[in-house]
Amino acid sequence: MLITTESGISHLVEPCRLHRRVYTDPAIFELEMERIWGRAWIFIGHESQVPRPGDYFTTNINHRIPVVMVRDRDGLVRVLHNRCAHKGAKLVDKRSGNVRAFRCCYHGWTFGTDGKLLKIPNEKGYDGTGMDPKDPQWNLRPVAQHASYRGFVFATLDEKAPDLVTWLGGAAACFDNLCDRAPEGEVEVAGGVLRYDHACNWKMFLENLNDTHHPQTTHQSVVDAALDYISTLPPDAAKQREEAEIIPPFGGSYENFEKSGITGFAYGHHYDGGKTSIHSGYSVNPVYRDAMVNAYGEERTQEILSFNTHNTCYYPSLTIKTAIQNIRVVRPIAVDRCVVETWSFRLKGAPPGMLQRTLLYSRLINSVGSMVGPDDLEAYMRMQQGLQSPASEWVEMYREFGRDTDMGDRIVGTGTSDLDMRTQYRAWRHYMLGEVA
Amino acid sequence: MNTGDALLKQAEALLYREADCLDRADLPAWMELYSEDGTYWMPAAPEQEDPLNHISHFYDDRVMMEIRRRNFVHPRAASKDHTVRCSHLIGNIRITAEDAVAGSCTVHSNFHAMLYYREEKRLYGGRYEHVLKQGASGLLIQRKRVDLIDCDAAHKSLIIYL
Repeated sequence: MLITTESGISHLVEPCRLHRRVYTDPAIFELEMERIWGRAWIFIGHESQVPRPGDYFTTNINHRIPVVMVRDRDGLVRVLHNRCAHKGAKLVDKRSGNVRAFRCCYHGWTFGTDGKLLKIPNEKGYDGTGMDPKDPQWNLRPVAQHASYRGFVFATLDEKAPDLVTWLGGAAACFDNLCDRAPEGEVEVAGGVLRYDHACNWKMFLENLNDTHHPQTTHQSVVDAALDYISTLPPDAAKQREEAEIIPPFGGSYENFEKSGITGFAYGHHYDGGKTSIHSGYSVNPVYRDAMVNAYGEERTQEILSFNTHNTCYYPSLTIKTAIQNIRVVRPIAVDRCVVETWSFRLKGAPPGMLQRTLLYSRLINSVGSMVGPDDLEAYMRMQQGLQSPASEWVEMYREFGRDTDMGDRIVGTGTSDLDMRTQYRAWRHYMLGEVA
Repeated sequence: MNTGDALLKQAEALLYREADCLDRADLPAWMELYSEDGTYWMPAAPEQEDPLNHISHFYDDRVMMEIRRRNFVHPRAASKDHTVRCSHLIGNIRITAEDAVAGSCTVHSNFHAMLYYREEKRLYGGRYEHVLKQGASGLLIQRKRVDLIDCDAAHKSLIIYL
């Protein structure tokens, strides 16, 4: 069977089973880059990263297509291909900065922050050659579409992709909740970024986010370690106890997760939690709560803070934690490698302690030196290795199959359902085979 | 030997002892070299100003050290199934600030740490800053800052202090 034919691909993903090649075959990976990462809306950055005209931020749409998010002279945020229109050199190679114009390091072609070609040195050599410097083909090319939702900037290479709001669907409520958690209704990127090199297929990271059956096993050691330490503390060691108690929720029980529920949408988006999540036990900073009540009133504050999701996945490039205010940005590198970045957000109008809490959380859970993330990654790396074995061709995702509820724009299941997996692979088939999302 | 040289000798001995504890992955012995208010910090950005308003790879106080040393030897911590072997080299040790009255000082040094983990050899390098203070029986580490030269790069899991 030639795996990259349409019928070959369609046999890789069944309603409750996946062929191991979706994780291990370099040809499938290349097709995913073209059909998933080349068609979906990919998270680029946040408008707060480019506050002034000329500010830019560079990233890749997938592992190899460089783009630059830039605020032009008129204040409009654009996403342009980071490629000189002349010989193709990357125009900007720093992660971020400010420019009056983009000047190529090779032959000095210079472009405005709106992408328009401004200058070719020694331009007279083109006179009468048929090359017209005024032709828009010599401008920096914008990506096929870019748009932002409450400051979160996405781009797609597919001009036929549905508009961003349609694509986000009901999962947009999580962006709303993240921003509404700010007394001023806006968030901004703050406190730097963590970059974590993952020796695994990019899908394994996404599939773990709302896998509620792993924490009790994978994170048992750190929970035991924290509980053992807490048991040694004298009664008056309140400060130490408070700090150590951040850890145990990461080994959340099956029962707790059952209650939190999983919700799946079109295009692979999904979240777990809603009324309750592993984060709902954390106390609310009273100064922050007062600022919220001043801004929104008691009832609305209660409503905002009680929408308590754990992870929301915007398939395939972004996951957000609304209650914690951090996000993770995924970039595939190869069939067995991806980089996961953790960014943190400041809630505008909230006391400074809130950002410190977000950063504390990011460090304890998502850093390379944390006691949680490395055990997750260990499991992904072992899957990447184990799936080389022909012992079985299949990976299962049957849990709670047939017991999820279709609500029209979303499907809802118990918190330990494999609904999150099935939601992602419905989207996988949509992008790879043109099926309904 | 004047007092400055004596202090430098003591500081060097402490840094070497610390490196030896980490080379042997003996975290309980390593913790004893830290004061009760001791902290271990590995920033995630060059020239990072503080550990609370910017993300870091590590910022452990005694509470997290206590949890980490227990987790490190837990039989069910899968990422610790693989032995970690480390070899530290420390050089250019110099005292950059000193409070003769309190007996405390700040020590800067450069380090290379060769680490073997998951069938792979890795090289970490950068600069240490140790703030040392006098304890009941000699110098203790009050603050350690580890500035990796590639602190803002994508890193693999780092399951032991450097």
